Amino acid sequence: MFPYEEASWSVVDGAMFMGWGSALPGGATLVAGLLCVLVLVYGQRSEAQKAKRFDK
Amino acid sequence: MEQQLAELAAKVAELEAASAVAAVTNTMFAETFYYLTIPLMIIIHAGFLAYEMGASRLKNVLSSGVKNILAFAFMIPTFYFFGWWVYWGFPTGLPGAPGPAGISGVEYANAIAWGWGESAQYMGPNIADQASGVFFGAFALFAATTASIMSGAVIERIQTVGFVILAVVLGSFAWVVAAAWGWHADGWLVTQWGVHDFGAAGLVHAVAGFFALGVLINLGPRIGKFNADGSANHIPGHNLPLTVTGLMLIIVGFWGFLMACVIVPGEAWSWSASTPTTIYGTPITLSALSFNILMGISGGIIGSWVLTRDPFWMMSGALAGIISVASGLDIYYPALAFIIAFSAGILLKPCADFLENRGIDDAVGAVTVHGTIGLYGLIMLGIWGSGFPALQGEAGSVPTISLMGQIVGAVVFFLIGFVPGYVVSLVLKMLGMLRIPQGAEEAGMDLVKVPARGYPEWGDDAPVTPAHPAE
Repeated sequence: MFPYEEASWSVVDGAMFMGWGSALPGGATLVAGLLCVLVLVYGQRSEAQKAKRFDK
Repeated sequence: MEQQLAELAAKVAELEAASAVAAVTNTMFAETFYYLTIPLMIIIHAGFLAYEMGASRLKNVLSSGVKNILAFAFMIPTFYFFGWWVYWGFPTGLPGAPGPAGISGVEYANAIAWGWGESAQYMGPNIADQASGVFFGAFALFAATTASIMSGAVIERIQTVGFVILAVVLGSFAWVVAAAWGWHADGWLVTQWGVHDFGAAGLVHAVAGFFALGVLINLGPRIGKFNADGSANHIPGHNLPLTVTGLMLIIVGFWGFLMACVIVPGEAWSWSASTPTTIYGTPITLSALSFNILMGISGGIIGSWVLTRDPFWMMSGALAGIISVASGLDIYYPALAFIIAFSAGILLKPCADFLENRGIDDAVGAVTVHGTIGLYGLIMLGIWGSGFPALQGEAGSVPTISLMGQIVGAVVFFLIGFVPGYVVSLVLKMLGMLRIPQGAEEAGMDLVKVPARGYPEWGDDAPVTPAHPAE
């Protein structure tokens, strides 16, 4: 996923990460953000469930 | 006319003087850059020390510390005596022929890396050489890191001298061979397979992790770790907060470790006049490291938290997060690094349980965190980074990163770690130098080996409990 047509570092003068110029950076950012949200939702649910066991 | 010529000559002289000052400044910066990575990497050892001592029971806490400190101490001279020579001598494999970049081979190593004869000028104070000492120091600390990785796995039952011998084999030989082959621009894994392992996920972490696995097979589990029916117990260390803090210190030290993997520009030995590069000569920036290391740490912690809620595994997840993206820290997109690290954090505990269920007592999860995740990181880069040039040069004339190349690298790194770990520990076992006798293990290694007590006022160890109570 080299972001330049020619597989040589001599043509690189700017961004040099995987998927630069494609949908990958945006897609990865979206997925990473969603993961954070989902983890928090799951974490809250499971912790609340465990805490309930200690309710008087 | 004459006046103009004189002015021009003065300008030229001024520029030459400024250029000489700039060169001195750059040289001093380059030397300082690597010099500062050394204390930063010593923080890794402070971390491993705290982590291992915290994971040990009260009766073994100081002997675990002694073992760790000794590993560090022996690593430096042995790396000086022969480890540095191995690195420069064998990138192209046996018999040590020179490589295309002209900075490898036995002849080259003989000229710069022996502590005697003409070569000794590069192995000691030399006003004309401001690079060799700091490079040696950084590499010696890489070596010491490998020994510390193995050290945690074998706590509470290994003999001190047997352990030091294993540490020397790992730190001053096994990983050095891996580095020569896969972390040197002339390394055959790089030139022939395009292996890319910028942050040493494979050649440091996987080699050390699987070396530890080879040792653990011969060393056997701690007394009380497994029941007669094969089920595992959890043997709690005496101080989990110390262990977790130690893990955090390792993370701090990793910044020095990874910083030392960057080649500063503008020196005679640099790959580039103006651009910082990886050890392979490909471009990198400290900003790239900053983005991706931080995202790796976070992803690993969050992934581990989802599955375990345990601070030990969360901080292990932070390590795993960095290791899982270490091979491609120079070229990952940060959000992608986060996702890969998150997956590594999720994988961590099940992989450790897998080993435990097969009778392997890895006291700190080192085989999984460093070994399994190190190889996972190598393979991930093969999937995501295929097509990136692995060296500097024109398209078509240099190898590119590929999944196959990364798999070949993973297999080679596994073998370089596992085989010597298994063979040398087997020999030590046959010589009676691997494991302490049962009575001494039960009494506690501090009582047997250390003329001091870690916590003289304190009482007993925490109780041993089933490792998987729900099963």
